[in-house]
Amino acid sequence: MLKRSVGFVLMLSVGLLFSCKDKKDKDSEENEFNKAEMLTNVSANIILPSLTQFDAEISDLKSSFVNFKNAPTQANLDEVKMNWKASYLTWQTLKIFDFGPIRDIGFKSSTGTYPVDPAKIESNINSGSYNLAAISNLDAIGLNALDYLFYNSNALAELQNNAAYVEYAEKVIQKLYNETQSVVNAWSSYKSTFNESTGTSSTSAFSEFVNEFNRDYELAKTAKIGIPIGKANLGLSNPEYVEARYSGISFDLLIESIKALKATYNGKGLINGKSGLGFSDYLVNLEKTSLDNTINNKFDIILSKAEGFSMTLEEAINDPSMENQLDELYLHLQQQVVNIKTDMTAAFGVLITYQDNDGD
Amino acid sequence: MIKSLKQGFRADFFKQTAIAPLIMFRIIFGAMLLFSSLRFIMKGWVETQYIEPKFFFGFLGFEWVKPLQGNLMYIPFILMAIAALFIMLGFFYRISTFVFFACFTYVELLDKSNYLNHYYFLSLMSFLMMLVPAHRDFSIDAKLFPHIRRKETAAWHINILKFQLAVVYIFAGIAKINSDWLFEAQPLRTWLQAHHNLPYVGGILKAEVTAYFFSWMGCIYDLFIVFFLMSKRTRPFAYLAVIFFHIVTWLLFPIGVFPWVMIFSTTIFFGVKFHQQLLNGLKRLFKWTENIPETIKNIPTPKPFVKYGIILYIAIQILVPLRFVAYPGDLFWNEEGFRFSWRVMLMHKEGHATFYVTDRETGRTIEVNNTDYLTVRQEDQMMTQPDMILQFAKMLQEEFDGKTFSNKEQSITLRNPAVHAEVYVSLNGRKSQLFIDKKHDLTALSYNLKHRDWIEPFEK
Repeated sequence: MLKRSVGFVLMLSVGLLFSCKDKKDKDSEENEFNKAEMLTNVSANIILPSLTQFDAEISDLKSSFVNFKNAPTQANLDEVKMNWKASYLTWQTLKIFDFGPIRDIGFKSSTGTYPVDPAKIESNINSGSYNLAAISNLDAIGLNALDYLFYNSNALAELQNNAAYVEYAEKVIQKLYNETQSVVNAWSSYKSTFNESTGTSSTSAFSEFVNEFNRDYELAKTAKIGIPIGKANLGLSNPEYVEARYSGISFDLLIESIKALKATYNGKGLINGKSGLGFSDYLVNLEKTSLDNTINNKFDIILSKAEGFSMTLEEAINDPSMENQLDELYLHLQQQVVNIKTDMTAAFGVLITYQDNDGD
Repeated sequence: MIKSLKQGFRADFFKQTAIAPLIMFRIIFGAMLLFSSLRFIMKGWVETQYIEPKFFFGFLGFEWVKPLQGNLMYIPFILMAIAALFIMLGFFYRISTFVFFACFTYVELLDKSNYLNHYYFLSLMSFLMMLVPAHRDFSIDAKLFPHIRRKETAAWHINILKFQLAVVYIFAGIAKINSDWLFEAQPLRTWLQAHHNLPYVGGILKAEVTAYFFSWMGCIYDLFIVFFLMSKRTRPFAYLAVIFFHIVTWLLFPIGVFPWVMIFSTTIFFGVKFHQQLLNGLKRLFKWTENIPETIKNIPTPKPFVKYGIILYIAIQILVPLRFVAYPGDLFWNEEGFRFSWRVMLMHKEGHATFYVTDRETGRTIEVNNTDYLTVRQEDQMMTQPDMILQFAKMLQEEFDGKTFSNKEQSITLRNPAVHAEVYVSLNGRKSQLFIDKKHDLTALSYNLKHRDWIEPFEK
């Protein structure tokens, strides 16, 4: 009896090995999805090009601000603003990848926190004593602090006449520059770790990538649109929560953010135009082609809705006739969450927890 | 027939048998508890699971169990580690087992988002260990109080532990007899393909046939392993299977110490001779002097209340995992009668829940950001479990009651707001379906053991 059952198990195992071999050969012809290859593509064609570009744009921002300081003309300020806007748009791709070197130094929150607190910024400038690295100053630094410093109604006059104001802007830029440098350096050694970390534990790069992708999407939905239009405030709108409120580029940032998420989902580099394996290919490999289509279609609908506004987000919020259009945009943003956070993640077999734990 | 059953029961449970297996189990079990308590503290989980959360999901009937303030939460864990060490050494054994059981169970009752079958198992085992005299040989207690020393003990002291392990395996096996597990190879298919990058075995793990093989073998293993462990002839092979099976699960799935708990606990099935030799070896190592009276004067007579207690315990252990039959609908979907039933690694559920707090007067609504109130782990657990969804809705009502929301133009204060939820859940790789419809005001529902007809029906 025992002998027979041991024999049975052995037979099954051998059978299994052979059948797998056939299966594997067949698989490699039909379907070539491989997580390691996807991670390599994402780092080589999406993360690193964005990081390089962001680095260059922040350097340009820094040097153009030095030029402006030496010759504080409107034209030179426009140059600064142009570099600021370019880097802010590139940031929309980079902010998806809040793990490894970016998370280690808290780069996402120090660069992209909004809304900023203008009163805090002003009081820092007036007192002259501030520590920009302090957590309490997270809403007084980064790209949104520059939005206020460059675009508020007194910006040009302050930048031309107030040395403390200029110094503050300079320090905010310097902090961005230093942190960008350290992320660039850290990524050059982290790259191989990332490319090889294909495991399923919650701390593998693959899991972190999936989780952060979802988190960034949800953050875009909630912070860029939801909170300003009052979704967390009984529908009473909060224009003071609008991202990049002073420059009024919030729709541009939303559109860029959705484009970046869509491109990342498809494994496509927005900067170098190269494309490789992404989540989309993984879903197709798992025979979830219809989910893949649903996700891409939804991204397209969101983009077309977001592109349908010919005004700033703050103007749209303050115009009662735009309420339905904003709600519609938000609804589409909301519907995509289920597609990517529930259906896509479930298919990948990734754990949506950020800590390691005893499972059962 | 009844008479012989009665006698069989008496013979099996109160017969005197060598105490060695019980002593060895105490040492192994104590060491395991010590390891896992220290591990829990070292990993920082006291902080993330018991200090950081603002809300706790109590168990029905046990909502009065509350966490200690801040770092005081470390106290039960430190007590557990000390008690575990004392259990291993057999030092103030009865008190130590009680302290461990009490602290462990207290912690487990605090928040059901931390529920794991293996924690429930440890809770039950420490309860049973509290009742059996596993300190009557090779222990500090036996050194200090030589009169407690015994060579033999009542058979039920050992058999009840075997019974508990048998319950875990057999019910885990029965739970696997369902169409998703056997005929779709889900959720194993999803979990195994995620390992396609492993060198050498990745291709095998991704193959569909492997998922079926693992599913069927896992089910057969769980159903029958106990019987093979009980038979002397098959035991060595069965134990090899235990080691192999649990190490494979340990390597492939994030299941922490559970495989090791099972590998070590199943040694209780080994023969008396094995345990006797092991114990003698340990005694020689620690220069233990035997001082046991050759004949024990008073073999304790079986007390009726002990017998009825054992029968009651066995009945509860068999009935609790079967309570799901009292509920209509799909068990995995509704999760009514799901916990405390050894449904281990049985399904893959992902959900997304959006809660809406609504002012009853103006009809204005707030969309809740769940992570403002819950840790990621709690949110993740809550989103697929109806009882937790209901509990969270009630927490939100309390939280938002009396809060004022305003902008430059208006200000509204919430009074006794309604809470609705729109929840989508994906079960075992299927496309997500509506789980809870937004139409229900969850604050109007009561939290009890009745069937929850507000869960949307599951469509395969």
